[in-house]
Amino acid sequence: MSALAVRLLNLRWTVLPPATGIAMMAMIVGALVAAPREIIEGEVQRLMYIHVPSAIATYGAFFITFVASIMVLWKRDMRWDALARGSAQVGVLFTALVLLSGAIWGRPIWGVYWTWDARLTTTLILFLIYSAYLLARAISDSTDEQAARYAAVIGIVGFLDVPLIQMSVRWWRTLHPQPIIFTTKPALPGEMLIVLLIGFVAVFLLAAWLISLSTEAERLHQRLAGVRAGVDRHEGA
Amino acid sequence: MSLAWVVMQKDLRLAWRNRTAWLSAGAFATISVLIYSFAFDLATRDVRPLLPGVLWTTFLFAGVFAAGQSFQHEADEGTFDAVLLSPASPTAIFFGKAASNLIALLVIECSQLVLATILFNTALISAELLAIVFVGTVGYVSLTTLLSIMGSRVRSRAVLLPVLSMPLLIPLLIGAVRATGASLGIEAGTAPWMLLLAVFALWSTLISALLFPIAVER
Repeated sequence: MSALAVRLLNLRWTVLPPATGIAMMAMIVGALVAAPREIIEGEVQRLMYIHVPSAIATYGAFFITFVASIMVLWKRDMRWDALARGSAQVGVLFTALVLLSGAIWGRPIWGVYWTWDARLTTTLILFLIYSAYLLARAISDSTDEQAARYAAVIGIVGFLDVPLIQMSVRWWRTLHPQPIIFTTKPALPGEMLIVLLIGFVAVFLLAAWLISLSTEAERLHQRLAGVRAGVDRHEGA
Repeated sequence: MSLAWVVMQKDLRLAWRNRTAWLSAGAFATISVLIYSFAFDLATRDVRPLLPGVLWTTFLFAGVFAAGQSFQHEADEGTFDAVLLSPASPTAIFFGKAASNLIALLVIECSQLVLATILFNTALISAELLAIVFVGTVGYVSLTTLLSIMGSRVRSRAVLLPVLSMPLLIPLLIGAVRATGASLGIEAGTAPWMLLLAVFALWSTLISALLFPIAVER
């Protein structure tokens, strides 16, 4: 990596925490105070400002895991394994958040916490796939390169399975509202749209910050295991 | 391709010598069909709406259980490196392994179909149903064979493999259950379930054949 890229990447430690904090505050104020009350759904609709961005961030995190998994197999560099794991952890966390906020939102609006709707089911399956990925990676050594390669296989297969899951589950069931912001004429009122966009910025910054932290934690695990192995060798000799 | 044939013959020979492993997979499938029939009282009422689900959960659990053993021998004897050093390419090893797993599982599944035909008094041996079982089994065998190499590496593989493979196999399960239901004359919706099954089988075979050599390379 070029020196400039390294310097830009290192900025994450100084830029991300305050930026995330400010954006999160703006999102909370926007969602709870500034945004108008939705006429039909009432106060509970304010969950949208965190629910929708978290759902998109989930796909982003799993996409990073997918790309990093390809790099594990291609470059054989354990740094990519740390990124794949770190990103999957954040992805699983956000999937759980999406399922939870969705359940809280669904209960007063649909009358049930959970329903086997296509989108909900797909999110649940993603949660299961990447939890299994983390489990598989966690029960082998963090420095085991062969185990990292096998886990990378799951990271890749899991992401490529998403279109098939979506297709099959859509044919199987379909209650969740269709997205209303990416259509040509947004149906969402302007104030709500602005708060939602702030929500996107806040949640994406938070995800990036958490991925940086969890990846660094994995790197430290790997280094610690390497040092331990070195000490064992030294004592054995 | 001929090397894949050799690998398959080797694995089938080993499977035959090592019958207990495969017999236990068959016994597991038989027990689960029986357990279902007790649990849901499948003997008294019209059982047809439940049968596709009963059959495919049995097939999938027996299949994942059996595939978990496909690299057991190599892992126990430490012969996987020797297999990799042989003139057979990793792709040929994969296809040989998957084919021998496929044959053994088809034998188990056909015996379960016969058993279910007798127990549930429903004709289950039809060309259409056999085609669904074949395509569905191809779809899950390639993926479980790929994932079973994980088993050679980590502890507690008996639990890990179902936890890993089942969520990935949900599209296949949905397609197979609905297609089976349609062939038994149960309302299954208008979606092209057989197409979904075929696409999944093609997808899982391609991706597994592609990733297996890269994953096992030393």
